[in-house]
Amino acid sequence: MSNKDADRTQFLRGTLDLMILQSLAALGPMHGYAIAARLEQASAGALLPNMGTLYPGLMRLEQRGLVRGQWGTTENNRQARFYSITAAGRRQLASEKKSWDQMVAIIETLFGEPT
Amino acid sequence: VWGTVRANPSEHELERELEAHLSMAEEALRRQGHSPREAARLARLRFDTVPRALDALHEQRGLPWLGRFSLDLTLGARRLRKSWPLTVIGGLAMTLAIAIAAGGFSFVRALSGGPVPLDEGDRVVALQAWSVAARRAQNPAPEDFVRWREELRSVDDVGAFRTVSRALVVAGDTPLPGSEDDVAGVVSVAEMTAAGFRLARVPPLLGRALVEADERAGAEPVVVIGYDAWRVPFSGDPQIVGRQVRLDGVVHTVVGVMPECFAFPINHRYWVPLRADSAVRSWLEGPEILAFGRLAPGATLESAQGELETLGLATRPARSDAQAEAQLHPRISPYTQAFLSLEEGWSGLIMLLFTMLLLPPCANIAILVYARTVVRQEEFAVRAALGASRGRIVVQLFVEMLLLSTAAAFVALLLVQGVLTRAQIGLSQSPGATPFWMDLGISVGSAFYVAGLATLAGAIAGIVPAIQATGSLMQGGLRSLGGSGGGLRLGRVWSAMIVTQIALAMLILPSAVNLGWGFLRPVLSGPGFAAEEYATARVQFFGPTALFAERQAELIRLLQAEGGIKAIAISQSVPGVERSRLAVELEQTESAADDDGRAAANELSVTPNRVGLGFFDALEVPLLAGRTFDAGDFEPGRNSVVVNRAFAEQIASGQRVPLGQRIRDRFVSGVSPAAWHEIVGVVADFPANDETPRLYLPMTPGQTTPITLIVGANPGATAIAGRLREIARSADPALVVDEIRSLDALYLDQRAQSGAAVSALTVVTLSVLLLSAAGMYALMSFTVNQRRREIGIRSALGAPPVRLLAGTFRRPLGQLSVGAVFGLLAAYVLGAVLPIEELGGREVPGALLAAPMFMLVVAALAVAGPARRALRVIPTEALRDGG
Repeated sequence: MSNKDADRTQFLRGTLDLMILQSLAALGPMHGYAIAARLEQASAGALLPNMGTLYPGLMRLEQRGLVRGQWGTTENNRQARFYSITAAGRRQLASEKKSWDQMVAIIETLFGEPT
Repeated sequence: VWGTVRANPSEHELERELEAHLSMAEEALRRQGHSPREAARLARLRFDTVPRALDALHEQRGLPWLGRFSLDLTLGARRLRKSWPLTVIGGLAMTLAIAIAAGGFSFVRALSGGPVPLDEGDRVVALQAWSVAARRAQNPAPEDFVRWREELRSVDDVGAFRTVSRALVVAGDTPLPGSEDDVAGVVSVAEMTAAGFRLARVPPLLGRALVEADERAGAEPVVVIGYDAWRVPFSGDPQIVGRQVRLDGVVHTVVGVMPECFAFPINHRYWVPLRADSAVRSWLEGPEILAFGRLAPGATLESAQGELETLGLATRPARSDAQAEAQLHPRISPYTQAFLSLEEGWSGLIMLLFTMLLLPPCANIAILVYARTVVRQEEFAVRAALGASRGRIVVQLFVEMLLLSTAAAFVALLLVQGVLTRAQIGLSQSPGATPFWMDLGISVGSAFYVAGLATLAGAIAGIVPAIQATGSLMQGGLRSLGGSGGGLRLGRVWSAMIVTQIALAMLILPSAVNLGWGFLRPVLSGPGFAAEEYATARVQFFGPTALFAERQAELIRLLQAEGGIKAIAISQSVPGVERSRLAVELEQTESAADDDGRAAANELSVTPNRVGLGFFDALEVPLLAGRTFDAGDFEPGRNSVVVNRAFAEQIASGQRVPLGQRIRDRFVSGVSPAAWHEIVGVVADFPANDETPRLYLPMTPGQTTPITLIVGANPGATAIAGRLREIARSADPALVVDEIRSLDALYLDQRAQSGAAVSALTVVTLSVLLLSAAGMYALMSFTVNQRRREIGIRSALGAPPVRLLAGTFRRPLGQLSVGAVFGLLAAYVLGAVLPIEELGGREVPGALLAAPMFMLVVAALAVAGPARRALRVIPTEALRDGG
C-alpha cells in the first residue's frame, strides 16, 4: 500500500461511520453498493471504500444500534440488504456533527493565521 | 453484547450481500462500456474480493471487545502481581465479605423454603390458625380440622400431624437375632393422619402405609417405619411387616416400611396414626399440630384462602390472652413456609444487609486503588494522549479489580462449601431437627449470587476510583506527566473514609480482644477437674410418674453397688453446658440501697440448674461461703438456692458475701408472683474455666424428667458408659438411658465451637487492621508524592530529618489522630453498652488503652515506607520534576 493509500485508509477509519450515517440520514435507506457510490460521488472520486472497509463499518454501526439492515429488492429487481438510520443513529450523528464543526472551526482559525 | 448478537448475519447472508455488491458494481461498469470480463475484473479491483472482505467482516462479526477484554485481563493480572500487597490485603477482605454474604445467602435460602420435594410439591400447603397479635400459629381446634377436612373444596388430602417422643422397644416377645440390646431408645414419632401418605404420593417399600381405619377408636395400634429405622434398629429384617414393637410400653404392629427418601412431614422415621379418641382431646394444649393438604386441581392459594375465610374458625373457650384470641384467623401457606422462622419480606432485607457487608472492604480497596493511581498517573496520561478514551482506562481498572474479586469469590465459595458441608453434617446428626427439604449446599442460585457479588465488588473497587482518578487526569492531560502528584488529590471524601476506617479499627479492637479472651481462656485453663473420669447420661422414665423417685433411688443404689464408681450426681442439665437463661430480681433491702447510695442491681440474667442432694460433694465443687443443700432444702416450701462465685460477685454489695439475700424469677407466668428464694451458700465456679453466673436450685427426686445422671468412675468414663443402660434396665425397663457421653467430650465440643468463634473473630479483626494499615499507608504515600517538591526545598535548606518528617506528616497524622480519638471514645461507649460477658467475652484489663498503643505500632509500620521515601527525596531532582 502506498503512503497515499495508507493516509486515505487512516482518514476513512476515523470518519467512515460518520459519512455512512450522514448519507443514510440525507438519502434514506440504501444498500452497501449505493452507499459506496454515494461516497465516491460526494468526494469526486477521491474516496471509494472497498467492501473490506465498508461492510465492517456497516456491521459496527448495526451492532451499536445506529443503523438497521433489512433485505429488500432493488429497482433492477435484485436482492440486496438495505440499511436505514435509527433514532439512536440520528442522535449520534447530531452529536458527531457538532464535534466535527468545532474541529473544523479550530482548523480554519489556525490555517487563517498569517504564516 | 446484545447488539453483536442481534446484528450477526449468517455466513451465507454475508456472502450473498457481498456478491450482490459486486454484481451491482459489474453492472454499472458494463453500462459504462466495459466488457463483462473487464467489468468483473475492475469490480474486484475496486471493491476487493469476497473472501478478503469476508475476513475483514469476521473480525468485526465476532466480539471485538473480547480481544480487548483479554488484553485487559492480561494487563490486570500483571498489575495485580506487581502490586501484591494490595492484592493480598484486598483479596483477603473481599474473600471474607463474599464468604459471609454467600454463607448468609445459603442459610436464608434454606430457611426460605421453596416447594417441598414431593410430587407437585408446590401445591402442598399448610393450614393454620394464625394469631395476628402473637405473630404465630396456634393449634387448630379439632372441630376446625374436621371442617377443613370435610368441607374444603379447594384443598384435597387434608391431614394433620404432631411430633411426639416415644421409648421404642423393638424386641417385643420375640427378640431379633443378634440383637443384644432390645431398647432402641427414645425416638421421634410422627402422629399423622393417613392423608399424609396419600398427599406425599410415595408408595411404601414393604407392607402398607397408614389408612383411615387405623385412626378409629379401638383400632389395633400400628406403626410404619422409615428405611433408616428398618436398617438399624431392625437390622433390615425382611420379615419386619407384622412384627410387634413397644412404643412407651404399648405394643404396636409394624405394617409397613417407607423408602429411603421419605421423611414427610418434617424428618420422621416412625409414623403412628393421629387417633381421634386420644389426640383430639389434647389438641389445643398438646404438642404443636400442623394441618396440611394439597391444592385441588384448578385451585390457587388465593382461592383456597378465600374459601378458608368463608368457613371461618370455631369459637374457642375464653383464655387469658383474649386479644390474641380475637385476632385468630385461618391461614393457608406453601407447606415449607409454615416452618419458617423468617417472615415474608425479611429474607430480602437480610440479603440486602449481607450484600452491604461488601461495602466497607470494597470502599477500602477503592481507597487503595485510588491512591495507587498516583503511581500510574504517567501510564494513564500517555495512554490518554495516544487516544485511549476515559472509558477504556476505567474499563481496564474495572477488569483488574474484577479479576481480584473473581478470585476472591472462588476462594470464598470453596470456604463456604466446606463450612456448609460441616453444618449440614452437624444438622443431620440431630434427627427430627432439620426438615428433609432443607439443603445447605451451594446451589446454582448461590453461585449466581456470588458472581453478582464479585461483579459488584469489582465495580466498587475499580470503577469508582477510576472515574475519580481519570477525571482530573483527562483535564490535566500530559501536563501532569513528571509533576509531583499532578492533578490528583486525595479529596475530603477519601480522607474522611480513611479516618473513619481508623476509628472503626479502634472501635472494634478492645471488644475483639475481650471477646477473643473470653473464648480462649476456657480452652487454655481447662475445667479444673478430671472431666474424662465422668460420664453423663439422659435418664427418662416412661412408667407412672409416682414411681420415678423410687426408680431413681434404685438406680443410684445399683450404681453405688458397682465397683469403681467414685461419684454419682443428679442434675437437670449437664453442669457447664446448661443452655437456659433466667431473668431474676433481687429483693431490695435498706442496707443494699444505702451502700454507696445506689440501689443494688435489680435485674440480672443467670443460668439456672436444678441439682440433687449431694451434687456439690460428689463433684467436689469447693464451698466458698454458707452451706450446700441439705435434706431439708428438698422439702416443699423451703426455697433455698446456692449461687456460684461469678453470680455472688455480681450481686454482692461492697465486700459482703450475699448470704441470706433473696431473689426471685422476674417473668414467672401465672397470677401470683414467684416466691422469693434465699441464698444459703456460695460455691466455686463449676467448671472452673466457666465464669457464667449460675444459680442452683434443689431438684426434688421424681419431679423432673428427663434428668442428667453424672457418674464418676475410677478407670475413666468409658468403663461405666457401657454398663449404664444395663444397670438402668435392671432397675426398671421403663427407665431409659441415652445420650451417654463423657464430660470431657462434651467440653471438647464446646471448645471446638469457641475455637471456630476465635478463628472468625481473628480473621475479621485482622482484616480491619490490615485495611486500616493499608489506608494509612495510602494517605502517607499520597502526602509524600504531593509534597515532593516542598520536601526537596526543605531538604535543600538543611532541614533535619525529624523536622522534615514532622512537617510532611503533620496534617495526615493529625487526621489519623482525630480518627483514633473518635474510635477510642466510641470503643469506650461500646464497652459500656455491650454485654460482653453475656456474649461469652471476658474483660481484659487495659484492653482499651492497649488498643491505641497497638494501632500506633501498626501506624508506624504503615508510615515507615513513605517516610523513608520522603527522606530519600533528592532536592535537585524534586525541583526539576516539579518545575
